[in-house]
Amino acid sequence: MKAFMAAFLVWTLISANGGGGEAWPTHTACRDGSLEVLYQSCDPLQDFGFSVDQCSKQLKSNLNVRFGIILREDIKQLFLDVAFFTKGSSILNYSYPVCEEDLPKFTFCGRRKGEQIYYAGPVNNPGFEIPPGEYQVLLELYNEKHSTVACANATVICS
Amino acid sequence: MMPPTRLAGTLIPAMAFLSCLRPESWDPCVQVVPNTTYQCMDLNLYKIPENIPTSTKELDLSFNPLKELGSHSFSNFPELQVLDLSRCEIEMIEDDAYQGLNHLSTLILTGNPIRSLALGAFSGLSSLQTLVAVETKLSSLEKFPIGHLKTLKELNVAHNLIHSFKLPEYFSKMPNLEHLDLSNNKIQNISHEDLRVLHQTPLLNLSLDLSLNPLEFIQPDAFKEIKLHKLTLRSNFDSIDVMKSCIQGLAGLKVNRLVLGEFKNERKLERFDTSALRGLHNLTIEEFRLAYIDNYSSKDSIDLLNCLANISKISLVSLDLGNLKDFPKGFGWQDFELVNCRIEGFPTLELTSLKRLVFTSNKDMKSFNEVKLPSLEFLDLSRNRLSFKSCCSEADLKTTRLKHLDLSFNDVISMSSNFMGLEQLEHLDFQHSTLKQASDFPVFLSLKNLRYLDISYTHTRVVFHGIFDGLVSLQVLKMAGNSFKDNFLPNVFREMTNLTTLDLSKCNLEQVSQEAFCLLPRLRVLNMSHNNLLFLDTLPYKPLHSLQILDCSFNRIVAFKWQELQHFPSSLASLNLTQNDFACVCEYQSFLQWVKDQRQLLVEVEHLVCAIPLQMRGMPVLGFNNATCQISKTIVGGSVFSILVVSVIAVLVYKFYFHLMLLAGCKKYGRGESIYDAFVIYSSQDEDWVRNELVKNLEEGVPPFQLCLHYRDFIPGVAIAANIIQEGFHKSRKVIVVVSQHFIQSRWCIFEYEIAQTWQFLSSRAGIIFIVLHKLEKSLLRQQVELYRLLNRNTYLEWEDSVLGRHIFWRRLRKALLDGKPWSPAGTADAAESRQHDAETST
Repeated sequence: MKAFMAAFLVWTLISANGGGGEAWPTHTACRDGSLEVLYQSCDPLQDFGFSVDQCSKQLKSNLNVRFGIILREDIKQLFLDVAFFTKGSSILNYSYPVCEEDLPKFTFCGRRKGEQIYYAGPVNNPGFEIPPGEYQVLLELYNEKHSTVACANATVICS
Repeated sequence: MMPPTRLAGTLIPAMAFLSCLRPESWDPCVQVVPNTTYQCMDLNLYKIPENIPTSTKELDLSFNPLKELGSHSFSNFPELQVLDLSRCEIEMIEDDAYQGLNHLSTLILTGNPIRSLALGAFSGLSSLQTLVAVETKLSSLEKFPIGHLKTLKELNVAHNLIHSFKLPEYFSKMPNLEHLDLSNNKIQNISHEDLRVLHQTPLLNLSLDLSLNPLEFIQPDAFKEIKLHKLTLRSNFDSIDVMKSCIQGLAGLKVNRLVLGEFKNERKLERFDTSALRGLHNLTIEEFRLAYIDNYSSKDSIDLLNCLANISKISLVSLDLGNLKDFPKGFGWQDFELVNCRIEGFPTLELTSLKRLVFTSNKDMKSFNEVKLPSLEFLDLSRNRLSFKSCCSEADLKTTRLKHLDLSFNDVISMSSNFMGLEQLEHLDFQHSTLKQASDFPVFLSLKNLRYLDISYTHTRVVFHGIFDGLVSLQVLKMAGNSFKDNFLPNVFREMTNLTTLDLSKCNLEQVSQEAFCLLPRLRVLNMSHNNLLFLDTLPYKPLHSLQILDCSFNRIVAFKWQELQHFPSSLASLNLTQNDFACVCEYQSFLQWVKDQRQLLVEVEHLVCAIPLQMRGMPVLGFNNATCQISKTIVGGSVFSILVVSVIAVLVYKFYFHLMLLAGCKKYGRGESIYDAFVIYSSQDEDWVRNELVKNLEEGVPPFQLCLHYRDFIPGVAIAANIIQEGFHKSRKVIVVVSQHFIQSRWCIFEYEIAQTWQFLSSRAGIIFIVLHKLEKSLLRQQVELYRLLNRNTYLEWEDSVLGRHIFWRRLRKALLDGKPWSPAGTADAAESRQHDAETST
């Protein structure tokens, strides 16, 4: 009984300070014999779903992806920053405007905070063969106020 | 059973106490602006928090499981203007839920699965302007109880389940309604009846978005004589036939702006041809945009343009236009936008009434061709990778009215003429294109009206100082990412008396001329960041009487250029010095103190960090302690003082060396049995010198020596030889031989010297001190072989008649005389013993 009460006390104290600080689980975006793409949300507010349809070492251009998220911000404008790393050193950085206010390119452009969006379609990527190795990719989507819309730490393992 | 209950009895109050220690747990919301804006997003709140001030104007309660809103839910917040209830799992809103919110202008209900909405749910809300009910499972506008919201300007009911386009009667009571977003609903048909309210009460400023509705049919005449501000129909049509019939159904509509097309990720049309757009001529359109049409045969391009001949503003976005070489001429277009399209080569444009041309981000461009656009005022040709063989003059564009020219993000632009005929230009942008010959001649000389010039990142190397001559009206000059000859900024801004903003970042600048900014009295913003400036020099900025913002971040600034304190113009309100290489050393103490004093002026002063010395690297500049310098000052002062003292002592010791010797050995001083310190052998010819110099210096100096001189100390009546031996050698410790020409010639002197030599040999001590009065001739000296040999073998003192020479001479002589002087009684005993011994040997 004493042990139970002590455990109860410890639990209440821990749970009072708890919440937040936990990392989101790691998901698999795609897996194939030689290629594996894992990702983890780095937005403290939420996790999201993402998958790549084709998963091969010989990367095809305009890959089809699926992406679902509940927006925490309005996205009148949306920008994507991608940074590639290998062994801790940066290989490539680029920034891409996804939604522009005057020219909404995609159906989800202009959507509101609280709205659920689901995108299934191609991304504008070039086709190339991925050299074997392990790569880290940091993706961040942010809006015109520079608030994070989605953020992911992805790991690409190519063997 | 007792102990657990007792334990619980102590634990429960303890926990209550612990929870009281964290009062913020009762107040989880974030205070964005005190008493005005509160953010309570995603805090797992089941009810509306009560401890938020009643003066709150903006309240964000999104992502909390509120589930339902009872009546008067927000009566605590009568001042509320913006209320965000996005995704609060609200299923039910009761009557008068928002009652009392008379100032509320924006209500956001996005993402709530509302099942039950009471008829009086939105009662009150007498100032509501924006209502967002996106993704709320709304099935009909008619049943939406918002009829009394007369002030409504924007109604967003996108992403719902609305099937009917029937615009409810209550729209007639909303004269301010400007935006109605019905996109992403289930509307299939539009009938005349649906738009009846607009026929009765026109809403001239209404923008209507019907995108992403699966439109199948629009009743002909439904839009007849309806006036709208904007109508958007994107990704609505399944097939070209539906599209064609629906566009025909729009006949009679008067619209300022019509947007047709699809989204990049929502292609519904399998095939598109321009016949679908033929119905457009039945509409009155001021501005037309066609966007993201795929699977479109580019052969139809000319046909497409012909369809749009009567519209004054055209915008084509993301289309494949193919070959447009024979661009139709003579259209009455005033405004033409072509964005992100695929075209084979730059089209030859001849449009007499065109005022504005935006031609950006198009693919497959090569080089710019001449155009004939005599009315053109605004030309944007950015982001096409175009190359311009000659730029820019009236001849290239055939217009003299151009005010705005944007050629940024293109390929090489050759500056071959100085804007002849384009004197009206006010805005000119070349950024990120490569300018050729821009610094060869005063290229902007004729642009007297230019207000804005951007030549950032154009690979321009400024060599010619007159590059900006003629720009008398210029207000903004951006030239980041270029370079200057020798990385030195000369005075190139010579006529820009109206300049207010100047960007010189990333120009590799190392030095700035003192006169660089001397003619810019109105400059307010100056960006010098990302250069290689080593010191902060205020002199160049002194003439800038209007300067407000100066950015010197990302340089290599160590400290002020000059040691004394310097002053920036008094108008300066913000100075950015972050990311520099500050030296936190005492040498620059005045600069570091200045940083502390100018806290208000400096941007992110707490982020200024030291770069040197190594142990201070990364430490905040504000943390530099002046006291460390004072300590080192005392150290420096002390060491200088002690060095001074030591050197004074050394000088004194040197000066009073013999006094000290005397003082140290005064008690033990004794000449032993010797009466004289030295017997002087000299020629009578040199007696003057002996009397005036030698005797005077040695007998009257310190320590006093007793000399044996023949004229004084020889006992009269005794033979000279006996006197020499008895008085001279026997009673003297040393023998001083004054060697001179006369000495060598005097036989008595030679005699005395030879006896001295014998004496020295017998007593075996180095007792003879030679003084050479004058330089001796070697031939003469050779006559005295012995003397010659001795002088050759022994060191001798040479008399030099100069201040320094005399000083050295007397010191050496005194030292030589002191040498072998018995200072102690033991020494005396020794001497006595040796004398005894001498006596024995002599006998």
